[in-house]
Amino acid sequence: MNIFLRILFVLIGLFIVLNWGLIMSGIIRKIIARLGMRRGIKVYQPYINLIKNFSIRSQLTHGVMFYLGPVFRLSGGVGIFLFMPMIYGSDYWSNFSFTGDLILIAYFMFFGMLGMALGAGEGGHPYSAIGISRGLAQFTAIELPLTLAILSIAIQYNTLSITEIVAAQQGGIQNWTLVTNPLATLAAMLSFLGAMGHSPFNVVMAPQEVPIGPPTEYHGTFLGVLQTNRAILHVVEAVLYMNLFFGGATNWGILILKTFLIYFWSVFVGMVFPRFRVDQSIPWLLKIPLVIGILAIVLLII
Amino acid sequence: MVNPIYIIAVLLGTAFLLGLFKKQQGGVAGILSFMALGFALFVSASWFIHFISGSQEVLQIFTGGAKPPFSINLQMGIEEAFFSMVINLLGVMGFIYLYRDFREQGARGSAIFLVLVMAMNVLLMSRDIFNLFVFLEVLSIATAGLMYLRKDFNSSAAGFKYLIALGVISSFLLIGIGFFYLHAGTLNIDTYLQSNRTAIKGISMAIFLILMAILLELKPFPANGWALDVYQAAHPGLSAMISSGTATTSIFLLYKLLPLSANNWMPFLIVIGTISFVGSNILGIAQKNSNRLLGYSSIGQIGLMLVILGLAPRLGEHFNFIFLSIFISHFLAKAGLFWISGIVRKENIRDWSALRKNKLLLFMFGFFLLTLMGFPPFPSFYGKWQLIMELSQQKLFIWIILILTGSLFEGLYLFRWFGFVMKGEEEVKDKLHIQWEKMIPPILFTILTLLASHFINNASEYGHSLNLIPIYFIILLFLLDFLPAWIKNSGVIAALAIYSVKLYPLLADDILRLIFAGIFLIGGILTLFAGYSVKGKREGFFPYVVMMYAGLIGLVEAENLFQFFFAWELMTLGSYILILRGKKSMKHAFNYMLFSLGGAYLIFAGIALSYFGQHSLDLSILSTTTMPGWSYTLLAIGFLTKTAALGLHIWLPGAHAEAESDVSPMVSGILLKGGAFGLVLLFLLMGAEQSEQHNLLYILGWLGAITAVGGNLLAVFQEDAKRLLAYSSVGNLGYILFALAFMTNVGWLTALTYSINHFMFKTLLFLAIGGVVMRVKTHKMYEMGGLIKQMPWSFIAVLIGIITLAGIPPLAGYAGKWLFYNAVLTKGWYFQGALIFFSGTIAFLYSFKLIYSVFLGQPKDRFRMVKEAPIWYIIPQVVLIIGIMIFSARPDLILKPLGNMLAQSNYFPSDPLSWENVTASTNLGYWSGYKIMIVIGVMFVVLLSWLWVMSRKAQKIKQFNIVYAGERPFKPETTHFSYNMFSHYQKALGFLSLPVATGFWNGVNSLTHQAADSARRIYTGNGQTYLVHILIYTLIIYMLMF
Repeated sequence: MNIFLRILFVLIGLFIVLNWGLIMSGIIRKIIARLGMRRGIKVYQPYINLIKNFSIRSQLTHGVMFYLGPVFRLSGGVGIFLFMPMIYGSDYWSNFSFTGDLILIAYFMFFGMLGMALGAGEGGHPYSAIGISRGLAQFTAIELPLTLAILSIAIQYNTLSITEIVAAQQGGIQNWTLVTNPLATLAAMLSFLGAMGHSPFNVVMAPQEVPIGPPTEYHGTFLGVLQTNRAILHVVEAVLYMNLFFGGATNWGILILKTFLIYFWSVFVGMVFPRFRVDQSIPWLLKIPLVIGILAIVLLII
Repeated sequence: MVNPIYIIAVLLGTAFLLGLFKKQQGGVAGILSFMALGFALFVSASWFIHFISGSQEVLQIFTGGAKPPFSINLQMGIEEAFFSMVINLLGVMGFIYLYRDFREQGARGSAIFLVLVMAMNVLLMSRDIFNLFVFLEVLSIATAGLMYLRKDFNSSAAGFKYLIALGVISSFLLIGIGFFYLHAGTLNIDTYLQSNRTAIKGISMAIFLILMAILLELKPFPANGWALDVYQAAHPGLSAMISSGTATTSIFLLYKLLPLSANNWMPFLIVIGTISFVGSNILGIAQKNSNRLLGYSSIGQIGLMLVILGLAPRLGEHFNFIFLSIFISHFLAKAGLFWISGIVRKENIRDWSALRKNKLLLFMFGFFLLTLMGFPPFPSFYGKWQLIMELSQQKLFIWIILILTGSLFEGLYLFRWFGFVMKGEEEVKDKLHIQWEKMIPPILFTILTLLASHFINNASEYGHSLNLIPIYFIILLFLLDFLPAWIKNSGVIAALAIYSVKLYPLLADDILRLIFAGIFLIGGILTLFAGYSVKGKREGFFPYVVMMYAGLIGLVEAENLFQFFFAWELMTLGSYILILRGKKSMKHAFNYMLFSLGGAYLIFAGIALSYFGQHSLDLSILSTTTMPGWSYTLLAIGFLTKTAALGLHIWLPGAHAEAESDVSPMVSGILLKGGAFGLVLLFLLMGAEQSEQHNLLYILGWLGAITAVGGNLLAVFQEDAKRLLAYSSVGNLGYILFALAFMTNVGWLTALTYSINHFMFKTLLFLAIGGVVMRVKTHKMYEMGGLIKQMPWSFIAVLIGIITLAGIPPLAGYAGKWLFYNAVLTKGWYFQGALIFFSGTIAFLYSFKLIYSVFLGQPKDRFRMVKEAPIWYIIPQVVLIIGIMIFSARPDLILKPLGNMLAQSNYFPSDPLSWENVTASTNLGYWSGYKIMIVIGVMFVVLLSWLWVMSRKAQKIKQFNIVYAGERPFKPETTHFSYNMFSHYQKALGFLSLPVATGFWNGVNSLTHQAADSARRIYTGNGQTYLVHILIYTLIIYMLMF
């Protein structure tokens, strides 16, 4: 395909994902509020926040790395989008997924995290650093069940290519990894709870105790960039899980439905369970999800 | 030729003449004695030259013109000539050394000394047993007399104990001689040997007593308390004579008399010698008194010579070489060390740091110590090598283990001593009081050791295959050590560069070796650049740098196992001394050496086992070894001590962290690859893909995975930046081990990609952090903070370093991660693989801690004025960053040819990586480093421009202008969140980082020391106890023998 055409489709896809991300977060917040007996924000509130942040005139920076932090963060989110095939069977929506496979996405997640951590670090606020240290620590334990799940499905499908994994799940719900490899799916979905940063794994941002975790010092345009990223990232991560475990999507409608449900899973759990401290969440993650992940592999290889 | 009888005549005559001198005439007496000794040396040396220039004729002397037993029968053959020359040389040197002490006492001391040397000469030459007895008595009385050179109680007491012990020994000898004469009817050795020995009955008891007396004279452990007291209490000048002179004489006596027993004694000698060697070396480790320590070492070395003597019939043509190389090392080094001890005049080895005041003495001390230890290129290295190889051929594996164990203990106490000398903390105020003439003997012996090394190397079976250019270069650097550092630095860089150019065509076909050679040579050049920032002369640095790099290159170049081991030892030695140079590195360098020695001996044993039943030392014998299991295991563990696998890692953090700023990158980024290369070589020779060592490889795979987790987890909890990096190296080498153990194509690509990456990023990180540490003068990360403004370059370097380390795309680290997943899935080692990935995420924790605590967060007041690291630190970092960038964008440049090579039939032909332009793919997945780089690069630039357009007017604000509830933070120290940053992680997973390995090795250490300390109590200091020891010892040997 012509490279310019591809770039055009990438931009359109990005636009769709960004908007869906903003709307989804609005809907989710609305649901959370209603569950908490509040009226909640308007569904389009995330747009208002974004516009407000981008139009704030006072802009303060702590230094180069502080400035670069949000760029790294957004690059992380956009990058995962770029390397992710969005719609199965459509070359137009497969972005740049030909450059690398599942492993590329798994490791590119760190790109944004690292940049953000450094940017926030230069802000000099201790709460940022505390948030980061919690986030990184918890993250090691979150990744382990996911790694096992990924290994398990790689063994199952004998490939690391996301497109091929989705291809193998076509032909009805009975072919989804959810059905064919429930343990791997379960391990991954438990890990997903941690990755999304909702309760019980939300001590990183910790909305009450620490003002707002790593982004404490960010405001205005910087915060706008971070919010843009969050909208994209939530969708794209859900797309990843969708592709790996829930049969992928053959059109944007299914993608939107599936990503919403996947994302809602973490919100649902978060509404029910209270928050873990880091030294509680790590042992928890290294017990149940880890054992499930190991079983997911053991059952496949014996 | 001068008749050798004149040696005796002149020495004895002069001694009697001296009796006529008055006390004030010490000077004249001294000159006279010196001339007499010089004459003796001249005579024996001329005989020796006579023999080596081709003459075969052995001179027999019968005094008084009569035949034995009515005359004294002396013999001068090549052996006698050699030993008598050596003894007379020692006599001359010993006399020069003691000259001032003798002169103070008038002529008496000189006279006794002459008698001592004369007695030794007779003992060497005499062929008559009774004569031996007489002169042994003369020898012991002379020795006891010289004990009084030191007028203190201990010396006199030791002299007395010596006399008593020697009395018992002589009575054995005398009784033996009596019986001997009774049964044999002659006291002449040759006459007896020529007679029909089977006819003579009842003589075995006589021979037993005679040989036993000589053996006891050699102070075998444990019947040697009297000798140790002598070593400890005597004037060091005399101890040198006893250790090098008397011992030489006695061992030659034994050699001469052994034929009497028709080789029945040989097996016993091996046992006795081994017990002596191992036992006294074990006891040595608890010893603090320097002279007594040297005594233990002497006894150990004599034990080793006894073993060789016992093995003589089995060693055949190799006997002379082995014996001589061990003997000459001991002879020269032990005398040298005793002499130095007399100059230092410190009893406790902890006080020997005084030696640092004099560079020459310091050098000679190290030189002799290493000679004793058998490091290359000193003679005993060759001797020990040959000995161990012969033992292997004779299937005497247990003796290999025992001898190497003994050597390890010897290394333990000698290197501890070395550490005290180099880095002992107690600063000795008073200057060394050096009498110039006392310096002559050790200097001469140093030169002789060098000459001996040269000859032994030439005589050695494999010596000629060695590339000695680096050795000569090292010697040259020692000689040029007075030059300013920058000249020497340039010289070394130029040498490495020239060597690289010369080496390239030789290795161009073998990309595996080329990669490691590249790491060693390019790494060497880069790390040396940092050295330009050091002012002054930087004495004692460059020879060792070259030694280390020469060793590393030698590993790559080695064509046979001898060359490999030679290079291995050279590398170990050089790196040890480099590490030792760090300010607080005494303990850590010692640990390093201990583990390295242990590892080296395991490798040694592994090589020896492989050599069994084979006819060459070619590397390929590892493939055809008859004992693959043992041999490979030993070699693997040996290499793992160098790569610091978990359990063997405890030396690494301290050694790497406490080394100097520019040494840390050398030892961490580069040196560790030496061990990795060893593993590469071993695994290839194990048969690569066809290897049947599945169990060993499986265990190594797990070990690698556990090491990765352990190393990284420990790194997370460090507060010291360099320790953090050091632990990270442990983890990274775990990855490499893990990937190598796969024994698949992609697995090896992973391992080599990791090796290249680890070299680049770890060197980069250590250089950057080293530069920071130079400026801020602390290793503690929580004391730093906010240095990004002062040190932007270092920050960028660390940033690039940790991105590569963490394996984040698009940099080269990701190549390793991608290959890893593919390798794990292909091989099926899922759980080990999962552990490795877990450790990869742990790496984020310490990466963040490193960069955040040092460069971000709150700047401290006292570091506001620090400057960027020196330009000489920045230059190599820039080069390394460029290297990382190239490797990230075009990994195919290296991985494609490497993959092709690995796909050859004798390596790993199955499931190779396939390349399509810049995209690599396996059966499972695909990856295009180049395209990823472009996509990410473009995206990053676009987003950055966008943000810049939106917020180009951003205003820079002050440090404390942060969201703080309207307040100002109190001070940077309380606002910088760094100390114990991962306390929650410690709470959750800290139990995994308990110092189990350290506890284990501490336990081993204290157990050994306690054992040595308790065993040492058998030496009560009571002369009667010592006699009981001698009697019991004799009795036991008697019972064993008959």
